[in-house]
Amino acid sequence: MTVANPFVLDDYLPPRPTLGRQLRRWFGHRGFALGAVLLVVIVFAALAASWLAPHDPYAQDVMQRMKPPVWMAKGTWAHPLGTDKLGRDYLSRLLYGARISLFIGLAAALISGAIGTLLGVLAGYYGGKVDALVSYLVTTRLALPVVMVALAAASLVGGSLQVVVILLGCLLWDRFAVVVRAAVQQIRDAEYVAAAQALGCSPWRVIVGEILPNVLGALIVVITLEMAHAILLEATLSFLGVGVQPPLPSWGLMIAEGKPYMFFSPWVIAIPGIALMLLVLAINLVGDGIRDLAAPSGRN
Amino acid sequence: MSAYLLRRLGIALAVAFTVSLISFFLLHLSGDLATAIAGPEATAEQIEVVRHQHGLDRPLATQYVEWIGQLLRLDLGQSFFFQESVRDLIASRLPITLTLGAIALLVALLIAIPLGVLAAVRRDTWIDRLALTLATFGQAMPSFWFALVLIVVFAVTLKWLPVSGNTSWQHFILPAIALGYYATPSLMRLTRAGMLDVLGADYIRTARAKGLSPARVLFKHALRNALIPVVALAAVEFGFMLGGSVVIEAVFSLQGIGQLAWDAIARNDFPVVQAIVLLIALIYIVLTLVADLLNALLDPRIRVR
Amino acid sequence: MGLKGFACGIAFSLFLAQGQAFAGKANDTLVYASDTEPENVSPYHNDAREGVILAHLAWDTLIYRDPQTGEYRPMLATGWQQVDPLTLDFDLRQGVTFHNGDPFTADDVVFTFNYVASPEGKVVTQQNVNWIKSAEKLGEYKVRLHLKQPFPAALEYLANPLPIYPGKYFQKVGLAGFAQKPVGTGPYRIVAVTSGQGVTLERNPDYFKDSPQGQPRIGHIQFRVIPDAETRLAELMTGGIDWAWRVAPDQAEQLKAAPNLTVESGASMRIGFLSMDAQGASSPDSPFAKAEVRQAVNYAINRQAIASQLMGGGSQPLQVACYPEQFGCDAKAVPGYPYDPAKAKALLKAAGYPNGFSTEIFAYRDRDVVEALIGDLRAVGIDAKLRYLKYAALRDQQRAGKVPMAFLAWGSFSIADASAATGVYFKGNADDVAKDPQVIDWLKVADTAMDPAVRKDNYRKALQRIAAQAYWAPVFNYSINYAFTSDLAFQPYPDELPRFALAHWN
Repeated sequence: MTVANPFVLDDYLPPRPTLGRQLRRWFGHRGFALGAVLLVVIVFAALAASWLAPHDPYAQDVMQRMKPPVWMAKGTWAHPLGTDKLGRDYLSRLLYGARISLFIGLAAALISGAIGTLLGVLAGYYGGKVDALVSYLVTTRLALPVVMVALAAASLVGGSLQVVVILLGCLLWDRFAVVVRAAVQQIRDAEYVAAAQALGCSPWRVIVGEILPNVLGALIVVITLEMAHAILLEATLSFLGVGVQPPLPSWGLMIAEGKPYMFFSPWVIAIPGIALMLLVLAINLVGDGIRDLAAPSGRN
Repeated sequence: MSAYLLRRLGIALAVAFTVSLISFFLLHLSGDLATAIAGPEATAEQIEVVRHQHGLDRPLATQYVEWIGQLLRLDLGQSFFFQESVRDLIASRLPITLTLGAIALLVALLIAIPLGVLAAVRRDTWIDRLALTLATFGQAMPSFWFALVLIVVFAVTLKWLPVSGNTSWQHFILPAIALGYYATPSLMRLTRAGMLDVLGADYIRTARAKGLSPARVLFKHALRNALIPVVALAAVEFGFMLGGSVVIEAVFSLQGIGQLAWDAIARNDFPVVQAIVLLIALIYIVLTLVADLLNALLDPRIRVR
Repeated sequence: MGLKGFACGIAFSLFLAQGQAFAGKANDTLVYASDTEPENVSPYHNDAREGVILAHLAWDTLIYRDPQTGEYRPMLATGWQQVDPLTLDFDLRQGVTFHNGDPFTADDVVFTFNYVASPEGKVVTQQNVNWIKSAEKLGEYKVRLHLKQPFPAALEYLANPLPIYPGKYFQKVGLAGFAQKPVGTGPYRIVAVTSGQGVTLERNPDYFKDSPQGQPRIGHIQFRVIPDAETRLAELMTGGIDWAWRVAPDQAEQLKAAPNLTVESGASMRIGFLSMDAQGASSPDSPFAKAEVRQAVNYAINRQAIASQLMGGGSQPLQVACYPEQFGCDAKAVPGYPYDPAKAKALLKAAGYPNGFSTEIFAYRDRDVVEALIGDLRAVGIDAKLRYLKYAALRDQQRAGKVPMAFLAWGSFSIADASAATGVYFKGNADDVAKDPQVIDWLKVADTAMDPAVRKDNYRKALQRIAAQAYWAPVFNYSINYAFTSDLAFQPYPDELPRFALAHWN
C-alpha cells in the first residue's frame, strides 16, 4: 500500500521484539499506571460533577467576578479555583467541562472508529481493488487539512456539541482504517480464519466472529489516540468560537474566555489549559501502556 | 521504478481531483450562491441576473468542469469580500505561511534530531527516558494554549521577542515554536528508531571494526542513513503544518493564508475558502509524493510491491 | 547539502526583510491598531469605525465641526448659505490640491455628491446620503446642493461622513482602483493599502494652510489591523504599537499601573442594544413577534450591573433607542424597564411561554456582555444560544431576516443628532427590524422639520412608541478606554473619533 507515510504504520502495529525489553516494559508500566490513575480521577470528577461542584456552573454573579484561586492573596474557599469574568465558579465549570471533553472524545472516536474499522476490514479482507479504493480514500482524507475543513464546516452549519462530534467523527477515521487493514491482512491467512472459511462461514461471520476480536488490541490503541486528538480539536474549535457554544463550560471555551485576562490573571488560562493537557496526557499514556503491555516482547 | 512512479503519480492525480470535488461542493452546499453574491438588498430579479451572469443556473456538473478549467488556467475567481482576485490575495499571503511553516519545521528538526540520536545512542538511560517523556508531554499540549503561554512568557513578561506581525525574522520565532513543537515527537521517535536500526546493521559494525572513531561512525555513516525517512516524514509534517497554521496565525495575528482562510470563513467568502483548502491539499499531495519516492529510493522492496 | 542550503536561504531572506519602520516617537511613526479592517478604504463604501478614522486623515469635508466647541467652521467650503429649505449654496476654498496634484474645484464637489446620491454610488450607509438630491456647479468655486426634503441636520452630516473625492481621478480609476490608491485633500496621504495588514500614511506636506484643524505634526501614521484584542494589548505593552482603543475595562484598570502608558476613558456616543425580530421574519412562530416577550426581555436584563461591572468608566444604563446627548434624544420622556425578573417571567407566561423558549442570539462584539445577557435571559427561562459572527456576516444575516435576536452597537457616525441612530434602525430601511409605520411617519417629520420644537416632539413620540413596543432592549452606552504611549499627546472626544491629525509627540 502506498498510503502517505507507511512508516507511521509501524507505530501502531504490534511491535516487533527488540533489545532492552525489560527496562522498557517496566517504564511502560509506570506510564500506564500514571495515565490510568489520572484518567480514573478525571472520569470520576466528570461523572460526579453534580456532587463535587460547589456551585451551579452556570450561576453568574457579576459582583463576584474575577476572584483569584484560594492559594492566591485574595482567594477564598468559597471559590477554590476563583471565579470567571461573569462571577461563575471556576472549579464547578472545570468539573462540568470534563464531561464535555470526555463525551466528545469518546463519541468522536467511536464514530470514526466505526467508519475506519469498516473500511479497514473491507480493505484487509478483500484486498485487490477494494484495498486500492480504501487506500485512495485514506490518502484523500489525509490530504484535506483537518482544522481548516472543520472550521469551515462548523462555521457553515453553526457550532454546537453535536456538530463537533459528528464533524470530528467523520474526519478522524483514517488511522483506524490503516491500522485495522494491516491487522486484518496479517490475520486473514491464519489457520483459524482459513478453517472458518472452509467450514462455509459467510465473510461477515468470519470478519465479526474471527477477525474483529483479534484486532481489538490494535483498535483500542487507536481509539485512545483519536480520543486525545478529538479532545484537542474540540478545544481548538471552541477556542476559535465555532465549536461548543457558551455558556457550556468547554475547556477550550474557558481558555478563550480567559484570554482577555491572561496578562494580569494568568490562572484563568493556566487552569483549563493544564486540565486539558493532563486529560490528553492520561489518555496517551494509557494508550501507550496498552500497546506496550499487549505486545509480549516490548516495543520498538 | 518508472512503473511505481507512474502508479504513484496516477494516485496523486486522482486524489487531487477528488479534493477539488470536495472543496467545490463545500462551497455549493452552503446555500444559494447567487443570493450571497448579489448582496442582501438585491431584488429577486437582480439575483436571477447574477445567477445567469455567473452561470449558476447551469447544472452543477457543468459548473464544476468550468471551475476546473479556470483552475488549470490558474484563475481562482474573485473574492466576495475584497475587491481582489483570489489568486492575488493568496499570492500576497502565501509567503508568510510558507516562511512560518519552514521555520516551524526547522525548529522541530533542530529539537527532534539531536534528541532522537542521543536517545538511540544512550538507549535505556535517563536521557532516553527524558526524551520520550518530553515527547509524550509535548503531544498532550494544545497548540493554541501553548501559543498563549509563549506570548505571556517570552513576549510580554520577558520582552525577548515581538508579539505579532511579520516584519522581521524575530516575529516568526514564537509562532514557529508553537506550530513546530507538535511535529517534534513523531520526528524524534522516527530518528531514534532509525538510529537503532542502523546502529545494529552490518556495515556499522564493519565500520567500527575498521577502527573508525565512534563520532565518525555515528555522523558519517549511521545518521545519514537514519535520516532519509526522517526527511520524508518532515515533508509530510510540513504539509500538516500549513493546514494547522490557521490556529497559530489567528493567535499571533500573522497575516498568512491561515488567517485569510479564517477571516474568509467568518465572512462567507467561499471562493477564498475553497481555493485555500485545495491549495493546502495540493501542497500536501506533492509533498507525500516526494516522501514516498524518497522512501522508494531508500527501500527497493516498496518498488516491487 | 540541500537541507542546510534551504535553512540558510530562509535565514537570509528573513534578515533582508528586516529594517522596516518601528513604532514610536524616535521614528516619528505613530502606529495605531484596531480589530477591524474596512472592507474598502473608500469612506463611502464601508461602515467600519476604522474607515471613519481614515476618512478624517486622508480626506476633508466641506465643513468642520470643532470637537471642543461643537461649532461649524469653514473647511473646503469658505462659506455657506441656506437659500431655502431645499437648497444650500457653498463658496469653495481656492488653492487646495489633492494628493495626486489635481486642483480642488467645484467639479469635484459636484461629482462627489451626485455620485454618492446615485444608485451607482452603492454607498453602504444610505442614511448618510439619501437626503441629497443633486449638486450643481454655479461657478469654478461655487456649488449648489439640492435636497430631497428639508433636512435640518445637513450641516452635521456635511461636517462628518461626506468627504470630497477627486472627480477626475475617481472617474479614471473607478472604485476598485480608488480602493487601492485612494486620493483626497486631507492632512495625511495614503501611501499603501495592504489587505489584511493595514494602511500606511504620511504627512501631506501641501496640506492647505488655513485648515481649521491646523497642520499635521506627526510624520508617519500606520494603521495596523490586529484582530485579536490580547495581541493588541501585548503589542502595546511591549512597544510594538503606540495606540490602542476599546481596551476592556479590567485591562484598562491594570494598564494604568504601567509606567510608560497613558490610559484615558470616557463616555461614548456608541450605544449597545438588543434588537429583536418584531416582524417574526426569522420563523413563522417567532416568540419575538409578541410585544409581551420583547417587554419580558427588557425586564429580564440587569442593565445597571452590566454597565457598572462589565463596562465601567462612563458607561450608563440605557432605556432609549439613541444616545441621550444627541439632539432629540429625550431620555427622560422614556421611563423604560427596571430590572425585574419576576415581571419578565409573568409576561412570558402571559405570552404563552410559561416554560420559556429556546432561541438564538447573534453578536459580533463584546462577548462578555452578550454572555451576561444570555445569563440574565436564562434566569427568566429564555435559552438563547450564541451565534458569534463577523459584523459584515451578521448584518447580511439580519437583513435577510434570519436573526431572531442580536446584540448590536451603533456609534451614530459621531453625529450628535437622534436622526443618526433612529434613522438607521426605525425608518423602514434595510436594518429596520420593526418597520412600524407610525414610528416611520414620526421620524420622517422629525428628520425634516425645520422647527426644533417640532423635531423634538416627533422624536419623543417615536422613541416612546419604540420603548412601549419594546422593539429593542437598549442596554447601555459605551465607555471607551484608550491606552497609548506616554510620548503621545492625544485627546479623546465623546464622538469616538480619534483625531490623529491633531495629535503630536510630547
